Order: sequence, then C-alpha cells, then structure tokens
Amino acid sequence: MSRTVLYRAASFVLALPPAYLGTAVLLASAAALRPNLLSPFLLLLILRQAAPLGFAAIGQSLVMRCRSLDLSSGGVIAVVSYLLTSGVMPLPWPLALPLCVLFGALVGAFNGFLIVRVRASAVIVTLAVSMILSGTVIALSQFHAVGDAPEILREMGRARVAGVPLVPVLWIAALVPTALLLRRSAFGRVLDAVGANPRAAGLSGLPHLRVVFIAHVVSGVMSALSGLMLLGFVGVGNVKLGADLALNALAASILGGINFGSGRGGMLGPAVAAFMLVFLFNFLTSLGLGEPGKLMLQGTLIGAAALAYCLRHKDAAH
Amino acid sequence: MTTKTPGRTGLTRYTVGLPIVLVLLLAATQADFRSPQNLLNFSGQIGALLIVALGQLFVTLVAGIDLSVGSVMSLASAIAATQAHPLAAVALATALGVAVGAANGLGVALAGVHPLVMTLSTATFLQGLAYVVLPIPGGAIAPALGAAATGQVAGIPAPLLWCAAAALAASLVLRRTRFGAHLFAVGGHPRSAYLNGVRVQAVVVGAYVWCSVAAAWAGLFLAARVSAGDPALGASYALESVAAVALGGVQLTGGVGSVAGVVAGVLSLGLMTNGLNLFGVSPFMRGVLTGALLLAAVSLQRRRIVGM
Amino acid sequence: MASKQRQPLVELRGVSKSFGQNAALKGVSLAGWPGSIHAVTGENGAGKSTLMKLLAGVHVPDSGEILLKGRPAALGTPARARRAGISTVFQELTILPNLMVAENLCLGRELTRGGLLDLRALRREAVQVLERTGIALNPDRLCGTLTVGEQQLLEIAKGLHSEADVFIFDEPTAPLNRAEVDQLEGLLRALKGQGKLVFYISHRLEEIFRFCDTVTVLKDGAHVATQPIEALTQEGLVALMVGRELEALFPERPASIPDLPALRVERLAATPHGPAVSFTLRRGEILGIAGLEGQGQREIVRMLAGEQPRHGGEVHAATAAIPPGSVEAAVRHGIALLPEDRKGEGLYLDLSIEDNIWLGPLRQTALWRRAPRDPALVRRLAERMGLRTPPAQPVGSLSGGNQQKAMLGRWLAADVQVLLVEQPTRGVDVGAKAEIYELLRRFTAEGGAILAVSGDLPELIGMCDRILVVRGGAIVADVPAHGATEEQLLGHALRSESLSEATA
Repeated sequence: MSRTVLYRAASFVLALPPAYLGTAVLLASAAALRPNLLSPFLLLLILRQAAPLGFAAIGQSLVMRCRSLDLSSGGVIAVVSYLLTSGVMPLPWPLALPLCVLFGALVGAFNGFLIVRVRASAVIVTLAVSMILSGTVIALSQFHAVGDAPEILREMGRARVAGVPLVPVLWIAALVPTALLLRRSAFGRVLDAVGANPRAAGLSGLPHLRVVFIAHVVSGVMSALSGLMLLGFVGVGNVKLGADLALNALAASILGGINFGSGRGGMLGPAVAAFMLVFLFNFLTSLGLGEPGKLMLQGTLIGAAALAYCLRHKDAAH
Repeated sequence: MTTKTPGRTGLTRYTVGLPIVLVLLLAATQADFRSPQNLLNFSGQIGALLIVALGQLFVTLVAGIDLSVGSVMSLASAIAATQAHPLAAVALATALGVAVGAANGLGVALAGVHPLVMTLSTATFLQGLAYVVLPIPGGAIAPALGAAATGQVAGIPAPLLWCAAAALAASLVLRRTRFGAHLFAVGGHPRSAYLNGVRVQAVVVGAYVWCSVAAAWAGLFLAARVSAGDPALGASYALESVAAVALGGVQLTGGVGSVAGVVAGVLSLGLMTNGLNLFGVSPFMRGVLTGALLLAAVSLQRRRIVGM
Repeated sequence: MASKQRQPLVELRGVSKSFGQNAALKGVSLAGWPGSIHAVTGENGAGKSTLMKLLAGVHVPDSGEILLKGRPAALGTPARARRAGISTVFQELTILPNLMVAENLCLGRELTRGGLLDLRALRREAVQVLERTGIALNPDRLCGTLTVGEQQLLEIAKGLHSEADVFIFDEPTAPLNRAEVDQLEGLLRALKGQGKLVFYISHRLEEIFRFCDTVTVLKDGAHVATQPIEALTQEGLVALMVGRELEALFPERPASIPDLPALRVERLAATPHGPAVSFTLRRGEILGIAGLEGQGQREIVRMLAGEQPRHGGEVHAATAAIPPGSVEAAVRHGIALLPEDRKGEGLYLDLSIEDNIWLGPLRQTALWRRAPRDPALVRRLAERMGLRTPPAQPVGSLSGGNQQKAMLGRWLAADVQVLLVEQPTRGVDVGAKAEIYELLRRFTAEGGAILAVSGDLPELIGMCDRILVVRGGAIVADVPAHGATEEQLLGHALRSESLSEATA
C-alpha cells in the first residue's frame, strides 16, 4: 500500500518541471559544500538578485504560451539604463520611471504589431529590435556617457519591508495577480487556446491576435521593470546591462515547465527556475569556479535539465 | 529540366535586389569601393560569415536554429592557436564540429528539446571551454593555415576561392544529393516525410553536424586570417548568420531556402558594413542598420502563422 | 475471387496494440490473399487504421505476429515496411507542399548515380508513373498549389508506384469526385489482376460492395467477421459493424419551414470578376451545398464564416449586415464554422473536452473578466450529445465521432444562430453519425439554421431540407431534398448551365 503511494509520489515529483528537482538538488549540494549559502540572510539576497530575471521570465513565459518569443529585453534595458543615467532625460523620478515603463510597453507594442499584423517571425523581430536599440544606445553613448543610476532606484534596491528586501516582495506581488489572471480570466483561457491551436482559435472567433499583442506589451513592460531593478543593483549605467537576460528568461521558462504553446508550469515554475539559476551562479562562484567553469557548468545543467524533461514528456506529446 | 522552383528557393526581388542596389550605390558614390584592395578585403571579411551562414542554412531548412555557431568558431580559433601542426588543428576543429553538431542534433531530433534551448546550452558550455583552452587572445597559428587563408592562387585571392568552394559544395549537396532532397522534405512537413520513408531524425542530426562543422572551419579561417586565436571571436556570428539567412529569403519555419539566397544575404550584410566604413559612419551604427535590414526582410516574408 | 489454394500473402495472428490506457486492438487475426481487394471496415475506434498502420510500419504490435508470405516480418518503420513490399496510402495526406510532383513521387526512393541524384531519370520515372496511372498532373508543379483532390490522386499514384505486393488504401476516396473514384476502381482491379493484395479501409458501403471481394469487420478493437462480399447485404454489413440494425440513419424532416430568414446572402463573390451567389437560409432549415470537388462550396462557406475576404455582395444575419473578412464579426453575429479539418482547425487537442466546449461561450466575455465555468452545463450538454467520456479528458484522445461532437458542443453552448458545417461526418462511425444528424436537426428545431457542405450526396439528401448545387462558383440548382436523387444532383453538378439559364 505504501509502495504505490511512494511510486505515485515519485512519478509526480519526476513529472514536475526540472526547476523544482533542480532547486532541491542544488540546495542539497549547497548544504553539503557551502552551508553558509543557506542562511536566510543570503537566501533573501539571492532572491533579490533573481528578481529581475524573475520579472523577465514572467513576460517571456506569457509570450511563449501563445507560441511567440521575446528576445528584445536587452535592447529595452539598454535604452532604459541610458535614459536614466546619461542625463539625456532630466526629469524627476516620478516622471522618468513611468516613462521608462511606458517605453517598454511601446517596444512590446511595436514587436506585437509586427508579429501579429505583418506576421513576421517573432525570433527575428525581437532580435532585430534589440539590435537596433542597443546599437543606438552604443552610438549615442559617445556623446552622452552613462553615469550613475538615479538614487531612488538604488534606494529601492536596498529597501526592506518588515526585514524582507522590498524587491522580492514586488516580485511576488507581480506573480500572484498574473497567475490568477491566467487561471481565471477569459484572457488566460484564450491564451491557452492560442497556444494549443492558433488556427482553431482564429476560426472560433476568439480575439487571438489581440491576446498575442497584449502578451508582447506585457513582456515589454516586464523588460523595463527588470531594467529598473538591475540598474538599482548595479548602481551605474552600463550598455551591456541585461544583455543575456532574454535568453536566460527563456531558459528559466523552459526549466519552469513552459513550452511553446503550453503553460504546464504555471507561473510558479519559471519563478523557481529563476531563483535556481541565480542560486547556481552564486554557488559556483562560492566554489571558486572561474568564469569559464561557470559557463561550462551552466551550459551543461540547462542542457541536461531540458533533455531530461523533454525525454520524459516525449510520449505524452504523441 | 527544371530543378529550381521559385516557391522553394524563397528568392524574391528584394532578396536579390538589395545587394545589387547596394553594390551600385557604393560603386557609384565611393571610389575606394572599386579598388582591388577593397575587394580583397571585402571577400576576406564576408568569407567567415558566408561559411557559417551556409551552415545555418541547412539547420534553418529543417525548421531549426543554431545559436552555438559563435562559440564553435571561438573554440575552433582557440584550438588553431594552440596547435602547432596545421593538420592537427584542422582535424581537431572538424572533430569538434562533428561532436557539437551531433549533440545538438540528437538533443533536438531524439529528445525533442527546442533548438533554441539546446543550442543555447551548448553555446554556453563551449564558450566556457574556449576560455579554458585560450584564456586571452593570442597564441600562434601554423603558418600553413595562414597562407591557406590569405594567399593567392593564380592571382585569385584565397578568401574568394574559399567562398566559391563553400557555396558550390552547399549547392551541390542541396540540389543533387538525397540528403539535400530530404532536408526540404523534413522542413516541409516532418510527419509526411517520415511516412514517406525518410529517416527524419538522421536528416536533422546531419543538418546540425553540417552546421557545426561549417562553423568550426569558419573559426579556423578567421583565426588564420588574423594570425591569432580569440576566445570571443565568434560572439556576433550567431545572430549575424541568422540575419544573413533571413535576408536571403530562407523561411525560418523550414522547407524553403537556397544557397543563392544566403549568398545574397551575406553580400547585403557585408556591403552594408563595407559601406558604413567607406562613408565614415560610426561603426556602432552597424547593429542598428543590421537590425533595420532584418526587420525589413522579415516583414516582406508573407506567412500565415503568428509567432515564432 | 481470391484464390484459396495459395498461401495468404499477409497474415496477422492475434495482434494487440494499446496506446496508454486505450486498447486499440485486441487479439486480431486476419489473412489476406493475393489477387484480392479486401475491405476493412468498422466504426471509428474499431481499430481499422491501427491495424493497417501495423502493416505500414507506423506502429509495432504489443503482441502477436505479422507474417508475410508465411514468414514472420519485422516492420518497425515505414521505410522497412516499404522494403518488405507493403505500400500505403494513408488517410492523412503525406504530400509535401514545398516539393514538386516529380519529387514527391520519388521521395524515399530516389535514384542515384554515383552518389548524386539522377534528376533526369527521376523526372522520367515520374512521367511514366503519371501516365501509367492515368493521372494528369504536371510533374514540375509545386504540390502546394494542387487542390485536395489532386493531392489525393498524387498520393494514390505514389502508392501504386512501387514494387509492392501489398497495397493499403485508407479512405482514399474522401476528396475524390465520381469520375476519379471510377479511375481508382480501374487501378485497383488492375492490381487485383496482377495478383496483388489490396487492403481497402473505408466507411463507404457502396464502394465496398462495388469493388471489394472480401470484407473484414472490426468492432472495438476486436475482429467480428471476415466474409466474402457476396454473402452480405448492406444492412447486414452495417449490423455487423454496430451490432444492431440501423433502420433510420436520418431523423425526420419537418413538414414545413416558416419563411423566417436566418441569413440572407446577396451577390457574394470570391473574386472581383467571378460569379456571385445569392440565397436565403431560413430559420429551422438545413440547407445543403452539393457539387463536384473544388467548385466553390468551400469558398462560400469560408466567406460567410469571415475567414476569406469577399469581393462585393452583402450578407445579412437576422437583423444586421455582417462586415466581411472578420471571423470575430461573424461569430458576434451568431455565425459559427465547423471546419472539416477537425484536428488542424477546429479542436484544441491538448485541452480537455470541457475547455474546448467553453471556448465557445467565452467569445462573449471581455478579456479581463472572469472566465465562466459551469460544469453542470457541460455535463448536461455532453449527455445530450451522447458524449460519454469524462469532461476532463483531452480531446486529442477521443474518437472521430466524439471529437466532432465536442466541436459541435462548443457552438451549442455558445448559443449561435447559424452553423456552417463542412463535412459533418467525415471520419465518423455509423453510430455517431446518426447521433450527429439528430443533434443538427434538434438545433434547427429550436430555431437555428444550418448550411452544410458535404461530398457525400446520400448524406445531403438524407439530412437536408433543401440542396443547392454549385458549379464554377455559381449556384446552378436549388432543389428540395425530399425526393431528390444522387443522379439528379450529379446531373446538375456536371452540366454547365447556370441557374438563370436553366430557368429561362
């Protein structure tokens, strides 16, 4: 009797997105090798560090659910960081920050327009937009160099709420409504439908194009928010800020159980995966692994996790 | 006997027109453009991109994408910089290409991992490995390799010959071999191809192997040209090869594409860079213009599906 | 007649195959003889396609043996099955749209010379095959430009072009017209004369009785009977398939239909200078559209559904004019489409039955609002439709008939007024067919209206109140279904006069 329970529990756990098992393995390894990493203080700091990736993963998993992709985060963040640190936009922060978020939304809308109306490939469109934005920032940096991040952002990065860093709280505050929205609202249902069969969604009279467009706008907003957070942590403007955030968000989404057209991982999966990736980064640094070693391990782990997950779910796909 | 059908090559007047327009524009407005020195430089500059893009073409034909080409190039250049014997360098680089391509291909075809994720993970791994093999740019390239990449044969610069050889080889495989025909079949509709007796998985693996080997040789070529290895050599080549392929009218959803298109795409990108240099525009604008060109190229590709 | 002295060409002994929980085949034994056209029939879910796919190399049996010419054969992949002498024309089209006709014909069997493709020989071979099978297609055409009927003919040509001993045809005539079916019959008889074995999977009883000599009936994955065709009548065959005699497949027609228009179509045209159609669909009416393949029926339906743009003309629902080119607008006005390609265009295979059904009523909800959920409604609807699977099950795992019901359920729950139905019972077994006709009739009895396109003339005659015949994009006849005959409808479809000329 207990054996079937054990068996069922084991298969449930193994069927979970790789992020959960991976996090458990990581935490266990840390407990063995670097127990100080598991102190609540450090864990909260790591959580804070993972928030930008977490926000980007929210946006990325949203577009992935409707079979699209957003690789433009790097460009959006470059522009946001430039606007706020080079003195080119001398506005008080209550105006400047929302403007940056608006910019993110506009980029998302531009992407969405090209993808939905012109039916251009999402990979290419968002990559090209990122190139254009980053390139423009690099070119303009010659005239106005990047400088310090606005004080408010750095404050936000340091702030605490009841002893807990503010930024992760904001992250959860973004996660919960999004999850509810996806599960309960008509938007979520239509998103699922578009992911499951875009053609049928169109022929059923569902607002499938609008939903994809909205997903991209949200993703743009999330990129901008990630940029604000990153800027707050790093303290200075940097053209390369967030350059690989898009691809890491993609990895986090996949490890969190989201695939193109399916949202099996929910909102929690990518969030856990974001935490896992950042924890891994810190863990490897604490082990004294240099940059090359970290890269190699990161690549191996993402590849292995993706392989394991896909192999297990391959039969279900048929 | 017609083997080339317009629907399947993806060539449009924009694909072919763009490089022609650029050539005319540059030839007319910049005297330097017409100089033999510039032409020599040009063929050298686009050589590596052409080889990589031809590799990316095969993967794109089966609806895949290979983001690890940049890291493979870097690692290959690192290998070349640390191997005294030219043949050893070539052999090792080729073996690297085969191994990476096999890994990518098996992950995508057998396990069903999405190409973006699979090639991204190999790219990260290989980049780390490149830093291990060659921590900083430098090293020594065997003189024979350098000569092969920069010399002349009967007055024709070697890079031009390499470009021609690569294009011819790719064209031959695509149009005259069973593998090439099966690439189009798998890209058109993998299930139908399978039911027709095509070994879909083998074809996909083959495409990725071809792509990685091409990237490895491109890395060798580049390293030989500058006589040094560089672990960050291939950084921009992953995206640029995708850009060249997209500009060449190759459909990212698979089944449509041609060597001529890729050549046109590479020419467009190369001419644009060349033009920027000649006009004295800031080199940083290169990214902006490449991006703009890409947007124009994909906007002109008419598709039914929305999204990826 | 099959010659019984020789050994069976193909023998399946006690083969079983399960997909997860679903036991598709249970210990089926079957023998096929050379020189025979052997029908394999049964309801959907009976296992016919699965059985043939075992022979085609697409699936591997869980237990049991497959013998070819008396010796055990391991047919693990389609390539291996081909090499073993089995050629299959699948129900799903396997023509690659981005290849040319000649290339598709020789796919998987390309001739090489010195390692490279021999393109000239390839083309010559393609031309030969096309001539031999009497199929008029240009070998250099890109297959993406062919019509569905032409693609099917190409599939058949491909299937025939092979040194095989065993030929499997899975529902080959679905997209074909009468003349093409006759052509196929000729080709099959030629194969029989050459001593080949042809397995013919079909729901079409007329065809089974016309050119098959033996029939095997499967039911629920088990073998029911294998008999020579002369020993059976159509009713008897149906009885074997469903385990009961079906007296009436079609529900009663209403005596008269009040003249309340549900849809008024005026001068609807698909192309700027093409023919225009005008007709009125009344509430409570089932209006059928008949015609040869590709004569414009699909375009009419798709324009009304909003998927295809219109050139001129007006469409009025009960109260308002419907703007062209927008599916959302059409749905908002109460017009819904049931596409013929259920899996590709109609259903969300990974989502549950309940989700699929709810995506119908969802169209009226604003995006940010809470999505409605009413499990009781879904259960009642499912019961009413005879959909007996648990609502949480993914639609992809259902049989054809149940999938069709789920798709229909979506619009029944959404309260639409007009249903545009393409091929209402394609790939649906006899039992479910009757249930679907009943559901459609009940929909109209409650005030709805249906426009149905079908290639199955007896179906149209049985289920509709009125039938329009189209040819060349124009309506050439408008006849009451009661008392109509296939010959009459075909006569209209083949003649080239338009309706105006006929009535002049």
